[in-house]
Amino acid sequence: MLRRRWESSQPKEPAVNNVTPEDPPKVLAKKLSPVTLDAAIATLLTLVAIPVRFHTISHPNQVVFDEVHFGAFAGKYIQGTFFFDVHPPLAKMLIALVGWLAGYKGNFDFTTIGNVYDDTVPYVAMRSASALLGLLMVPMAYLTIRDGGHSMLAAVLAALIVCFENSLVTNNRLILLDSYLLFFTAFTIMAFNKFYKQINNPFGARWWTWLALTGIGLGLTVSCKWVGLFVIATVGFSTIKDLWRILGDVRISKGKCVHHFLARTLCLIIVPFMIYTATFYIHFKLLPLSGDGDFHMSNTFRQTLVGNAVDETPIDISYGSHITIRHLATNGGFLHSHNSTYPEGSKQQQVTLYPHRDVNNWWRLRKANSTLETEEVEGDVIGSDGETPLEWIYDGDIVRLEHISTSPRKLHSHDISAPLTDNDYTKEVSAYGFPNYEGDSNDHWIVEIEDGPTEESRERLQSRQTQFRLVHATQNCALFSHDVKLPDWAFGQQEVACMLSAKKPKTLWMIESTTNELLPEPVDMIGYDIPGFWGKFFELHRVMWTTNAGLTGAHPYESRPSTWPMLKSGVSFWARPGTQIFYIGNPVIYWLSTVAVFTYMILWGFFRFLAKTNRPDRFPHRRPFFENAAGFYVAGWAFHYITFYLMHRQLFLHHYLPALYFGILVFGVGLDLVFLRLRPFQRVLVGVLVCSLVIYSFVEFSPLTYGTEWTREACEASRWLPSWKYRCDGYESQLTNHSASLINTDDAISTVIENTLVTSIDP
Amino acid sequence: MLWSLQVNVSNLSPSKYSHLIGLSIVTIAGFFVTFYKIWYPAEVVFDEVHFGKFAGYYLRRTYFFDVHPPLAKMMLAAVGYMVGYDGHFEFDNIGDSYIENNVPYIALRALPASLNVFCIALMYSIMKESGYSVCTCFLTASLYLLDNAIVAQHRLIMLDSMLIFFMLATVYSYIRFRKVRHQEFSATWWAWLLATGVTMALTLSVKMVGLFLVAAIGICVIVDLWDLLDIKRGISIDHFIKHFYARALGLIAVPAFIYMFWFYVHFAILVESGPGDTFMSSAFQETLKNSAIKMKSLDIHYNDDIRLMHKDTEKYLHSHDLEYPLRYDDGRISSQGQQVTAITVPDDNSWWRIKPTKEISEDEPVPIIHGDIVQLEHVGTETILLTHDVASPLMSTNEEVTTVDLDERYNETLFQVLFDDHNNGDIWQTYMKAVRLVHMDTKVAIWTHPKNLPDWGLGHQEVNGNKNLMDKSNYWVATEIDGLNATEINLEKKKEIKTIPFIFKFVELLGRMLSHNSGLTKPHPYQSNAISWPLLSRGISYWSKDDTKEQIYMTGNVFGWYLSMVGTIIYTGAIIIDTICRRRDVAWIEEPLRRRLIQSAGFFILLWLLHYIPFFAMGRALFLHHYLPAAACNYLLLGAVFQYLFITSVDSPTSDLRRNQSALEEIHPVGPAHAQTSTQAQPTTKTYIIATIILALQFACFVFLSPLTYGSPGLSIDEVQRRKVFSGWDLQFGK
Repeated sequence: MLRRRWESSQPKEPAVNNVTPEDPPKVLAKKLSPVTLDAAIATLLTLVAIPVRFHTISHPNQVVFDEVHFGAFAGKYIQGTFFFDVHPPLAKMLIALVGWLAGYKGNFDFTTIGNVYDDTVPYVAMRSASALLGLLMVPMAYLTIRDGGHSMLAAVLAALIVCFENSLVTNNRLILLDSYLLFFTAFTIMAFNKFYKQINNPFGARWWTWLALTGIGLGLTVSCKWVGLFVIATVGFSTIKDLWRILGDVRISKGKCVHHFLARTLCLIIVPFMIYTATFYIHFKLLPLSGDGDFHMSNTFRQTLVGNAVDETPIDISYGSHITIRHLATNGGFLHSHNSTYPEGSKQQQVTLYPHRDVNNWWRLRKANSTLETEEVEGDVIGSDGETPLEWIYDGDIVRLEHISTSPRKLHSHDISAPLTDNDYTKEVSAYGFPNYEGDSNDHWIVEIEDGPTEESRERLQSRQTQFRLVHATQNCALFSHDVKLPDWAFGQQEVACMLSAKKPKTLWMIESTTNELLPEPVDMIGYDIPGFWGKFFELHRVMWTTNAGLTGAHPYESRPSTWPMLKSGVSFWARPGTQIFYIGNPVIYWLSTVAVFTYMILWGFFRFLAKTNRPDRFPHRRPFFENAAGFYVAGWAFHYITFYLMHRQLFLHHYLPALYFGILVFGVGLDLVFLRLRPFQRVLVGVLVCSLVIYSFVEFSPLTYGTEWTREACEASRWLPSWKYRCDGYESQLTNHSASLINTDDAISTVIENTLVTSIDP
Repeated sequence: MLWSLQVNVSNLSPSKYSHLIGLSIVTIAGFFVTFYKIWYPAEVVFDEVHFGKFAGYYLRRTYFFDVHPPLAKMMLAAVGYMVGYDGHFEFDNIGDSYIENNVPYIALRALPASLNVFCIALMYSIMKESGYSVCTCFLTASLYLLDNAIVAQHRLIMLDSMLIFFMLATVYSYIRFRKVRHQEFSATWWAWLLATGVTMALTLSVKMVGLFLVAAIGICVIVDLWDLLDIKRGISIDHFIKHFYARALGLIAVPAFIYMFWFYVHFAILVESGPGDTFMSSAFQETLKNSAIKMKSLDIHYNDDIRLMHKDTEKYLHSHDLEYPLRYDDGRISSQGQQVTAITVPDDNSWWRIKPTKEISEDEPVPIIHGDIVQLEHVGTETILLTHDVASPLMSTNEEVTTVDLDERYNETLFQVLFDDHNNGDIWQTYMKAVRLVHMDTKVAIWTHPKNLPDWGLGHQEVNGNKNLMDKSNYWVATEIDGLNATEINLEKKKEIKTIPFIFKFVELLGRMLSHNSGLTKPHPYQSNAISWPLLSRGISYWSKDDTKEQIYMTGNVFGWYLSMVGTIIYTGAIIIDTICRRRDVAWIEEPLRRRLIQSAGFFILLWLLHYIPFFAMGRALFLHHYLPAAACNYLLLGAVFQYLFITSVDSPTSDLRRNQSALEEIHPVGPAHAQTSTQAQPTTKTYIIATIILALQFACFVFLSPLTYGSPGLSIDEVQRRKVFSGWDLQFGK
């Protein structure tokens, strides 16, 4: 990233001044200093953008697309109930902050697209915050290009393109995360550019300020969405290149080199990381209460939430103890049985996993060879009544588990295939038994202790310490459960079965709670190791990562990255008869920016070839400057685009937005290069041409962007590519002027139509 | 440049003979190590299940399908042919006896085993031609020779031995080619260029993994060409273009021809219909003798009653006299139309009549062709298939499919019949053509998916309209025409075997191989992650025998693999440190040595990286034996690092030395004058001691693990436990 080098080292070379474009507002330029002038133009651009971004922002007064999720999350922050999402928390917290300031109490039901907002939801304020951040990208794009040392006209055009980009407008005026992400991305790139302006003044106050601001920007970006990592990659790539230059400059002493290195480590690695973790710290602080995100998290994590914490429980387990047993590999909960039977198979009583505390989770440990009346116990200790001996359960002991509330039914398995997992090595597990029947050997389970934190807990069962397996004595299969939900007849609870030669993790269990009145005093109690901040931080990240990678379900409007640069498809956000919001870009901008990026790549290779064969190019002095400036943005585009090819999860057009921003910047720089070879009036001509093309196409698609009225004919005419899947039959035709809608005579059917059109994306 | 400058020093030194001796020793040792007890076990081991079977199919000329290109399997078949094997054995299960089934398995195994002996010779020769000393060459080849994974894999009827043999041959040829680069366009130059291209093509014809080799050679060639382009080389553009064409011919055109040639032979041999039929398109199947599909196929005409089977789920389109309930459980509303479902066993309600939408001649039957617009009448209830913009019962994003009375809502009952492959004849036939039924009005395709309707739908599979028209699961196959017996009709007709041009067959098979390969995601108990391979944390159980407690467990030589990894780390570290130092104008490694490290060892590390890293991006099930080519390259790199560390000199041309006179004097303070003409890597006593220690440890580790490699002798529980070097090794008989 040496793009300022040329400029700063040869600022007054006359040959260059000849080609430096004189900016159009010449009169102003003479009166004002460049900085003030830039500020004035930036303000002007902001004013232009306001109506574009805020036009009919209150329409529709219904939940649109993924407002389903992010509106709901805002409510959760305000109410403090824990939820789970695959994205980091910053943007959601900011949405919540706006909502809270505007008086939102967090009790609106966001569950379906099309729910009508009532007075309690300040959705206009929440959307406006997004729109405001989105519109600030316009002046920032201007300043970014200007700080790169390019002409005013190129910068203005780049900013106007950002302003009139339909997909940015559509996305940024809703309660979604992308405008936050994009704002911080644009800010980071601007700050980084300003930092590079200080390249010849290292360790000065401005140098430090902009370096630190870059780092802060990086931290904020990555705290909105993990896509921010690509901004870090972009900035990091450029920084390494710069450090390599410093290292190769033998005039800079070794000590100075180390200083350079440390300064960047501090500002670009440590600061962003601190900001990132801080957002999670606040996230946990804001969500102290148990909520619907619980079931994603492990049991120990849930202990940190109000409403989940359980008391200490006695550590010792003996025959006769009442226990609840938790499955360790999934978050399905406790071994559970209830008074319903399997509809198929043995038709005996169901055994499932149930996530909540319940009286039906309690089981009594019994010896295998005892009868109901007399537990023949030899005893390791004498019970609290002074006479009953208590016997511990050791590795290899055979036990029976009696379900207390449906006693004398006991945990049972037999050679019948499991209810859902239909293969010959998975057997059904039921609760079986009736009064005056002692049961059979299919009730016998061998306790195999797997692990425990203490020596004693590896020898005998102890609650919350011993990890153990229950192996069926006659079939030699292990009690197991997995993330598979049974149908309605089992109330959607998780399947439990007995599997032959099962893999370890899913057969491991642990005793969660126990009661036994006979335990001798004083009873040793044990609580949970409550995870600290870092424990929660890492666990949440693990779950976020796996859930994110697991978002592979099909969605009617998902698209692969290969379709994005040419804008082959869009996403339906919201639809009502006669109006719809369809997320689609401004095709002129998508196509121009893509052409700019690929032109850069071709030119780069071409210039390499010229250099290798020692042929002159036509930009002898400006070439490295443009190569580095545009190269940086092309690298940003590539990082934000190519990496999506590696992701197998479902992807959407809005994932291209950051790459598009970089593409627009490349286009801006490209325009500046073209301007080098043009006369001033030609430059203005090109500028006006580009500008009118962009605005024409923006207006063309604006009914889809704002959800305003349209006619069927205009809609059909706007379908430049057949792959754009927005529907035009909802609009009234000019020909059948105001006649009753052809398709919507039946109310019932029209509600169904709405259902067919729009789906939100996250699960 | 990826291979060092090298003078022919052999005529100056006695190493001509010492190389010959060294090469002979490792090769002979390699023969004994590889062929030791090759007759044991006389049972099917691991993937011999596949490759033995495939060789048999060639001998029986029966069409089969495999994800790998044909060459190696044809080589095995050729051996079988020569020893008179008729290919009768099916190789069904691991552990099936060869002796009982009279299979010449020793001859079949002898092919990969002999190639492994050649591999050892090639390892030696590659190092020798790269200019390493006898000691280094001998050590490298011996380390490879004593690797348990390579021995275990390469003496069985599998493809990896061929793969590595051709890969090493390519590397060897390319190095020879680079050595004669100053005699450009000479006969030798052409010979080695073509040899590189041919061996590269052979590698690729064994397994797709050969593409990594192509990438490695490709990168080297591009870098080489880029250097030639440099104005400082003083080569004219015309001359450069000549270079370019020479490489395009030798490394693209010739290999492509050879690669396709093996497929040509493949199709020429396999003329009988067989188990591979179902993987191919119906047009392809028609080219095989006795193809089942041909016997069943009939042309479909208007007003025929047909059954429609969904290709993916194999369920039949069905309708019955029941209606969708007004309101579903989730509150959504239906049209209350007649249900259309899909069922497993077709019944009387699964007949659909194809009705024309255009005027057709009534005298003779009119066939249905690609693109025709038709109506589908449900024969059982005399209603017409329809779909409309109402959400389906189970998927709110898809359209409901129902039927209406004849002559109602005409525009919504029109469907276009689109074939999957309409280049081979335009007439719709049973079995031969899969079709999409695209709704004209709302542009959805009739579709079904494995989700069952609740009780009101009798638990049948749901049918709905899929908005994604290009979805691969949109296809339906007509299976039967009411009242016509296909076999009888076809027997009378005696259809002829069709032919299609080779190129179409080739492209189709290649496509199916690629998609099938990436579809191999089914978990396997012995699969492993790429990250675990160099660490050897998991092996593969190939074979075991309960009564003698014998087993073959494929795992590398722990010592050798970890040493290779150390070598890689030392190499990378040295290069990084030196690069940074040079940025500060300090030469940490002398220039000639650096050139050697970048060019020769750099080529080896490039080969290793390209044979390893791409596996991280693969979604399919991966196994330890996928790492073997990379492991072989890693041994080459280890040899180069050994030379760098313990033989503090380099064989270099005089031109380089003159430029670096000062550096040279440091290395040879005694005899710069002598060194000026040639330097000879001079191993010291220390070098020999270290090489001996490494070799001894490798040998000890090899012998220790050899019962797992050769499958004999049987081991006691205690012995098995001791050989369980890592906890991830799931050896048999350990308890």
